[in-house]
Amino acid sequence: MAAISGLTSAAPLATVIFLVTIGLVIARPRGLTEARAALLGAGVMVVAGLVPPGAAASNVVGHWNVLLFFVGLTGAAAVAERSGLFDAVAGTSARLSGGRPRRLLVAVVMAGAIVAALLSNDAAALLLTPVVYVLVARFGLEPLPYVLACTFVADTASLALPVSNPVNVIVSDRLGISAVGLVPVLLPAAIAAVIALLGCLLVIYRHQLPATSPIVPAVDSWASWSGVPRPLLAAFGAAVTVFAIASVLDLPLGPAMTAAWLLLLAVERRCGSKIGPLEGIGWSLLVFVAGMGILVDGLSSAGVTAWLASLVLGPVRDVPAAVMVVSAAAGAVGANLFNNLPAAFVLADAVHGAGLSAASAHAAAIGTIIGADLGPNLTPVGSVATLLWFVLLRQRGMEVSTWSYIRVGLIVTPVTILAALGVGLLLGIPW
Amino acid sequence: MSEETAISGEPAMSEPRRLLVALAGAEDPALVVELAGVLGPGGPTLDIRLLHVVDSGPRALLPIGLGTRRGPWPKPPERSIQHRLTDAEDEGATALLVAWHDRFAAGLPGATITTEVRRGQPEQEIIAAAKTFRANAVVLAARPRTGPAEPGPRSLGHVARFVVDHAPVPVLLIRRSA
Repeated sequence: MAAISGLTSAAPLATVIFLVTIGLVIARPRGLTEARAALLGAGVMVVAGLVPPGAAASNVVGHWNVLLFFVGLTGAAAVAERSGLFDAVAGTSARLSGGRPRRLLVAVVMAGAIVAALLSNDAAALLLTPVVYVLVARFGLEPLPYVLACTFVADTASLALPVSNPVNVIVSDRLGISAVGLVPVLLPAAIAAVIALLGCLLVIYRHQLPATSPIVPAVDSWASWSGVPRPLLAAFGAAVTVFAIASVLDLPLGPAMTAAWLLLLAVERRCGSKIGPLEGIGWSLLVFVAGMGILVDGLSSAGVTAWLASLVLGPVRDVPAAVMVVSAAAGAVGANLFNNLPAAFVLADAVHGAGLSAASAHAAAIGTIIGADLGPNLTPVGSVATLLWFVLLRQRGMEVSTWSYIRVGLIVTPVTILAALGVGLLLGIPW
Repeated sequence: MSEETAISGEPAMSEPRRLLVALAGAEDPALVVELAGVLGPGGPTLDIRLLHVVDSGPRALLPIGLGTRRGPWPKPPERSIQHRLTDAEDEGATALLVAWHDRFAAGLPGATITTEVRRGQPEQEIIAAAKTFRANAVVLAARPRTGPAEPGPRSLGHVARFVVDHAPVPVLLIRRSA
């Protein structure tokens, strides 16, 4: 395999198809969903002859591990949501805080970190944040610091485990590196990043959090763990154990996650749930990932990703530490230029095609994951591009809160990336 | 025109009758004592409206309403979540105003005290409430900060700044005493 191939004559067309697709994902004209946009782009890639139909099919099949993984993960998060797990987590934070706003902020960050690490960043951001809002409103506190803390920690803690962020699995899968093998580096990096985030938030809001909350609701008014059916709680424990064992044995994570989800589903049924078993599965995420895979395949065979790799990684390819720093920066910039999943796909493919040494590829995986996981914290909507679109649309009520988010994001994002990178360089590079 | 009313009408600041007090919630309870020091004792001529505005900004920031984050994830049924958010806001706002109602009733005995909850951008809603209540003056308290609240440049937040700029009536700004 040639280490760095040149651009082919198909490169301009492939690039245009990819960029237009990303534009559609961001702008969503006429309510076009991300999944459909990605599918459309993938279809055009195939029709234009950039990816042969057979290759497209085998690309989708080749992603079986990632796709199964997302079925299991989204399903498990949906079971957790239905069972009242998030309410219990928030209720525990409320009780632990004792009505003291500063402690409540710490508790919210911790709760968000645990949920993000075990059930993914989007579970924390989409399912836990509203529950935190309810909690803070009942304390009569201004919700902004807590809502932001929850959104930020969702991404910050998502470095921790393979389950914490789709990016983690996509990058390691593409590079053929064991996602579990990165945990000894990424888990400490995630802890460092969460501590850095907490430090930033406590400093930023040092004057705004009152000493005590104006209202202290009765302790027993908070949702508790007794609200979650006991067998289901046990099943969650079992699911985590099953998944951890499969990870340690280096079994494919997709089937392990699906097995964990099926276990949860079976127990939920026995507890009397009447909800359809496929309720809450993120089908559109699957379609999006499959479509992106084909799109990036088109870019890859046109030589675009290899060209990108030589451009970005070329000068430093033999210095793992530099590779890690550069790919983190590229991941963060890419996540904000496009969106973090496409950015992770392109970067992983670029690194894959660059034919780096094992040590450099390992460093690049860690760097890319750090950049693509933490980069999106810069804006409330995943990327600067999406944010600009929202601003263009002049969404009502967005102005003030958007800028108060960005102000915090501008501080938090570089600080957490630096903290994670520091740990990554310390533990992930054979010095 | 405003000069004319100031001369011929009732003196606005010395004895305001209808007073709109905007409360974020966590202000120092000593606010009532300080206000009583300025206004004198309560009495039936004093009509106080306590206003709490539920800021719509943070809720607009919640990812549930935004549609695009990154994940096309299992979205919770939006309506039930929105109901829960509204209920919690109402519960918090009501509890805040009940507590402040009691403090004002104790600190300014005899005064008529009513409460009002609004939703939206606080600065806009305070102005709107002052107009509908036909307030003679608006009372603002310094935001509950743990640090010193000394007068000086940038000592007002954007809400207070806006109200001072746009209020059609006198604004009484109460800072936390040292």
